[in-house]
Amino acid sequence: MRCSARPGSATAAGLSAPPVMAAPLEHENQVFLDLFHQDGLVICARGLGIDRILLRFLRLYCEPASLVLVLNTSPAEEEYFIDQLRSDGVVHLPRRVTNEITSNCRYEVYTQGGVLFATSRILVVDFLTDRIPSNLITGILVYKAHRIIESCQEAFILRLFRQKNKNGFIKAFTDNAIAFHTGFCHVERVMRNLFVRKLYLWPRFHIAVNSFLEKHKPEVVEIHVSMTPAMLTIQTSILDILNVCLRELKRYNPALEVEDLSLENAIGKPFDKTIRHYLDPLWHQLGAKTKSLVQDLKILRTLLQYLTQYDCVTFLNLVESLKATEKAFGQNSGWLFLDSSTSMFVNARARVYRISDDKISKKSKVSEKMDIKERKELKRELVLESNPKWEALREVLKEIESENKNSEDLGGPGQVLICASDDRTCAQLREYIIAGAEALLMRLYNKTFGKDERAGEEWIKDRKAVKSKGNARSDKGPQAKKAKVEASSKQNKIMKKQDLTLTQMMGKTEEENIEEEMEGYKELSSSEEISIEETKPEDFHLNLASDAYYGIFKTPLTIIHPLQGCSDPYALTRVLHEVEPRYVVLYDAELTFVRQLEIYKASKPGKPLRVYFLIYGGSTEEQRYLTVLRKEKEAFEKLIREKASMVIPEEREGRDETNLDLVRDSTSATVSTDTRKAGGQEQKSVQQTIIVDMREFRSELPSLIHRRGIDIEPVTLEVGDYILTPDICIERKSISDLIGSLNNGRLYSQCISMSRYYKRPILLIEFDPSKSFSLTSRGSLHQEISSNDITSKLTLLTLHFPRLRILWCPSPHATAELFEELKQNRSQPDAAIAMAITADSEIVPESDKYNPGSKDFLLKIPGVNAKNCHVLMNHIKSISELVTLSQDKLSEILGNAVNAKQLYDFIHKSYAEAISQGKTKR
Amino acid sequence: MPVSWPARVTAASSGSREGAVLGELPPGSEASTVPPAASGDSDPCPTLKPGAKSNCIIVSARQRGNPILKFVRNIPWEFGEIVPDYVLGQSTCALFLSLRYHNLNPNYIHERLQLLGKTYAVQVLLVQVDVKDPHQALKELAKMCILADCTLILAWSPEEAGRYLETYKAYEQKPADLLKEKVDQDFLSIVTDCLTSVKSVNKTDALSLLSTFGVSHLLPIRVQTGPCHC
Repeated sequence: MRCSARPGSATAAGLSAPPVMAAPLEHENQVFLDLFHQDGLVICARGLGIDRILLRFLRLYCEPASLVLVLNTSPAEEEYFIDQLRSDGVVHLPRRVTNEITSNCRYEVYTQGGVLFATSRILVVDFLTDRIPSNLITGILVYKAHRIIESCQEAFILRLFRQKNKNGFIKAFTDNAIAFHTGFCHVERVMRNLFVRKLYLWPRFHIAVNSFLEKHKPEVVEIHVSMTPAMLTIQTSILDILNVCLRELKRYNPALEVEDLSLENAIGKPFDKTIRHYLDPLWHQLGAKTKSLVQDLKILRTLLQYLTQYDCVTFLNLVESLKATEKAFGQNSGWLFLDSSTSMFVNARARVYRISDDKISKKSKVSEKMDIKERKELKRELVLESNPKWEALREVLKEIESENKNSEDLGGPGQVLICASDDRTCAQLREYIIAGAEALLMRLYNKTFGKDERAGEEWIKDRKAVKSKGNARSDKGPQAKKAKVEASSKQNKIMKKQDLTLTQMMGKTEEENIEEEMEGYKELSSSEEISIEETKPEDFHLNLASDAYYGIFKTPLTIIHPLQGCSDPYALTRVLHEVEPRYVVLYDAELTFVRQLEIYKASKPGKPLRVYFLIYGGSTEEQRYLTVLRKEKEAFEKLIREKASMVIPEEREGRDETNLDLVRDSTSATVSTDTRKAGGQEQKSVQQTIIVDMREFRSELPSLIHRRGIDIEPVTLEVGDYILTPDICIERKSISDLIGSLNNGRLYSQCISMSRYYKRPILLIEFDPSKSFSLTSRGSLHQEISSNDITSKLTLLTLHFPRLRILWCPSPHATAELFEELKQNRSQPDAAIAMAITADSEIVPESDKYNPGSKDFLLKIPGVNAKNCHVLMNHIKSISELVTLSQDKLSEILGNAVNAKQLYDFIHKSYAEAISQGKTKR
Repeated sequence: MPVSWPARVTAASSGSREGAVLGELPPGSEASTVPPAASGDSDPCPTLKPGAKSNCIIVSARQRGNPILKFVRNIPWEFGEIVPDYVLGQSTCALFLSLRYHNLNPNYIHERLQLLGKTYAVQVLLVQVDVKDPHQALKELAKMCILADCTLILAWSPEEAGRYLETYKAYEQKPADLLKEKVDQDFLSIVTDCLTSVKSVNKTDALSLLSTFGVSHLLPIRVQTGPCHC
């Protein structure tokens, strides 16, 4: 039907299909209207299409008559939005304001109107310098609004906007409800920073969403694959070890009384972040044991993920490399010696090979199933257990194929989209589908454990013999075992009965099943060879928006696409809408994409869509998925409760003069200090000013300074970052900057120029408030003084710049406070003078009686150093005189023959000599 | 209590009594009347004036018993009668302050700084951060240091504080090469680096100049851009 409606090949049809927004969904309409009528913050469930709602607003304002700024979008997202609008036929497309547009042209861009994606740093500067016509702005759209914390650039922009424009709208969007789960009154603080009064919550369980999506439900087939016994044992072992590690961690850090440290959370991805969140502020006080435990937890989680994600060879390789590292470096926190870890190692090996020794093979459960009669002489006998999911995937594909054969009434064969979590899985799956499990595993095995090729050859020979005999009974390969496992799982009714064909299959007896499997297998393996030949040049290119996909078959189009790790976050969305698959196989489940599929189905009513869910029953993979679901639900429930009890002041939107957040501290501060300072003697109301370098607007400090009521003048400074008074010049360094610039010499030259042009040069060392307030961590001090230590370099710096002061600030907030106090009763800096100071200008401060330029120049010449430089300058009138001096005279002046020779040689060496010397050196 | 770390107050009785005696004397004056108690320096130590040379870190007697001295291992130290707490070189001195002590006696450091005046070129205020919430105190100290021309150095442990003392003494004569940008040691790189220190010359200019003129002809270009004030 689709083909008749739209002639041309399926892909072409996909490309010319109407854009995503063609059919607005019921609940989207409601979200849109609500937000249109009153400003607010929309929190929507993940994958439920927050981008579609933002897109509708963008389309609305894409006209020269309005000027709308969009904050917090990444370049990839901007591109996606612009693309979508273009295909929608919007004439006045949104533009991006980046540093490519010079400051002079920007005013023009702003006045042309429309929607603008602007870099936050540029917007801040433009608001401060009034380059942007604030009164003309229609409003601001804030994407990813959960990130708007008080000190960030975007909050600063919104504050500046509200101070200058009382009528414009502010609408905020986010789909990250979990982010609001942490911290005290998080959502309220975010809303305060956004200057909005309304909170719109759209969880997946919202009645409107739920009932609407219920109407357009795609056909879902959940296939619970059961893990092999070896995998199960390994999983149990790893979980055991995880548990032990967590207990240890709690024992060593009794302060960590948090429910977040449960086993359920420990297997989830965000766990590292949580634990660092708790431990970072006291990281420098932690013992080595705790640090290595944190590291181990991470490793164990990787192990769990590898277990279900990849094949047995990859897993074994990882496990073996862990053991090797432990041997090589002797670093582990003891879990490698636990009983559970032994069982993990044994089983990991048993999935790949067994040593043909009866005693050992009895240990591993897999080999018990196999009868070991032959090849006693071989040391390693390959088992190469294949992934149960692969088998399930093959079956699903077979089913799709058979259905596609008699699909005339549906309008030809439907396209297939297979989604797996990452690139590596996708590549493996493609190889599996094209070449088969054996070939894939064999290749991997040879790649990782290549030395043992004999075993591999034997294995292949054996397999071939078995195949030619066609004796299903004696097949000891993974396929046979798989069939058994699957059959038994069916008996246990683990498989869900949602799908017709599956239920039919379930009706069959176990033996029939096995036979069918075997037949299917033989069929496949024969067709495999054909397909290998056919698809050898399978690198066919589709005209798809994403380049991350893996094509398999052309007719019907079957492709694999990774869920994560694409450079373009919308790659999968684009592919989904272009390919328009009838069948989607979710090799790995991911919440966002599942929801996206629901929306996709709802936006294309009438088109059949069947989703296959492949998931290991009772595995950590399943648990992870469920945990994510539950977390989001809990987060929404908490938000709903918070919304019910939230007190929102009338003036929150800041449209009148009463919002206290918009009042900058200076005015209120003078009132309070008046009483304190002996009856408020003078208090001349001079507007305080700080000159700030343009590049500094990446940090949050300017925003905080502005908040304190001090005016900011953004200019490009060559010397220093902040000029507080005509005397005080400050160079701000974060810890990583400090280390970097101490090492590469930049700080040294910065200090030279600062102390040359300012009376009070200051180095500000700013610590990250979420990290520990300490320069060196515990136990990192060496026995000897090392010139590589940052403390040593800092010492040397202060020795060479006696006038250089150092400020140590634990956070940007503290810095802003200190700045204000340092400015008290001092005169204001002049931007014109500060800008005029460049390393070039020849202002000679009274302290130095020598020309600094000449001194720099002399110091660069070999043989001249800091000690003899002044002596030399006292003896010669100019550098032209230096050239005329003889070597003897030089050594007399310098008091050192070696230095004199170096200097003399350097001056009188000819270019030709130097070149030839350079060549011989090379 | 003149001692600047609280551990000292609760230390052995003899120690604290001596501290009390010392405290009644203005530091630096009448020092010779106090018998040196440490076993290490049996010879009468000279009253060091700024500018005098010594291979050791000179430690004021009021610092006796300070745990950071245990961590001054790589550099010899001896007691001496000095105004600051430590003399770390001809023109370098340091005052030590523990924040815990500072919170109890906020005026102590004022008096010490006043007494010290501006006698040394580099005057370090070595602060050991040993309280839980140091921010308010640190802010005050930072302002004080700017007014009193002191270099504020923070250490988070006695080890670190001791290491700073050692490093100041050890690096007394060290040139700043360690901090400078690394330049390759072959002739061309040096000449290029040297010539480009003149603002109007870039790297390509330097090379083409060099191929036309020898170094002896090139150097005087400096004269045009700015004469030596010799």
